[in-house]
Amino acid sequence: MEIMGADIVRAFALLGAGIAMGLGAIGPGIGEGFAAGKACEAIGRSPQEAGLLTRTMLVGQAVSESTGIYSLVVALLLLFVV
Amino acid sequence: MKELGRIHQLIIPFFGHNLTFNLEVIIMTWIVMSILLVFGFLAAGKKRIIPGPIQVMGELFISQLFALTEDALDKELGKKYAPLICALFMFLLLSNWIGIIPYMHEPTKDLNTPLSLGLLGFFISHYVGIKTKGFKAYIKTYFDPFFFMMPLNVIGELAKVVSISFRLFGNIMGGSIIILVVSYLVYSVLIPPFLNVFFGIFVGAIQAFVFTMLTLVYISVQVK
Repeated sequence: MEIMGADIVRAFALLGAGIAMGLGAIGPGIGEGFAAGKACEAIGRSPQEAGLLTRTMLVGQAVSESTGIYSLVVALLLLFVV
Repeated sequence: MKELGRIHQLIIPFFGHNLTFNLEVIIMTWIVMSILLVFGFLAAGKKRIIPGPIQVMGELFISQLFALTEDALDKELGKKYAPLICALFMFLLLSNWIGIIPYMHEPTKDLNTPLSLGLLGFFISHYVGIKTKGFKAYIKTYFDPFFFMMPLNVIGELAKVVSISFRLFGNIMGGSIIILVVSYLVYSVLIPPFLNVFFGIFVGAIQAFVFTMLTLVYISVQVK
């Protein structure tokens, strides 16, 4: 069996999908960890505001997650479209 | 695993062009809308002094979202745009949650639905901005620090649409793909219900809330 050009393109698309997802997951992980840590500190300082802090933290985390989601979309495009 | 890349499409030739309809998305959107309509009639059809259970639920929902909107905008504008925020949140919540029922698919899994909702929020926010500030002050915000920052500001405004719609789409699509792949790997034993709870209910609720909050924030940024 001979390796054609299309096979190489497919192989590099799969490789690119893996790299995109792996590198793209670093930033949101760090960011969400920071947000959760700061929220924990704030809840420790004022426990009566825990509900509001948790809600704000979740919204902030979901927003900071978006770069990871972009890399997921790019990875899906590489997997299923290329 | 064949279900991953499959889209039901209805293609109609129309004067040399092809009109493509994603049938599944349309049907699911209509199902979501009809459920919401039934809920609305049950909640507000017969208003009583001593409310029934569904009316209590509706009132809780509406009062919470009205309070949120009035916090972000001022009192008058908040009253005007709270119904939009309520409708957006309820539609997105039900759209994200409907995927946990077997043989049902989230309409937000297709990029068309989040993108159209994002464009809706974009146009509404700019309309509100022009209406409250006046056209001159609205244009002036684009030249804000210096004159030559204009292209950056325009691109920033356009990127909002892309970011808000791709965030919702990516979350729901990624969740459903993870559910499919893991169910395939474990032969649908034991694990998929927990995944459904996490990706369907938890992530779906948070993403619906984030989408509505961001639309609200975009409107309030344009107003101030």
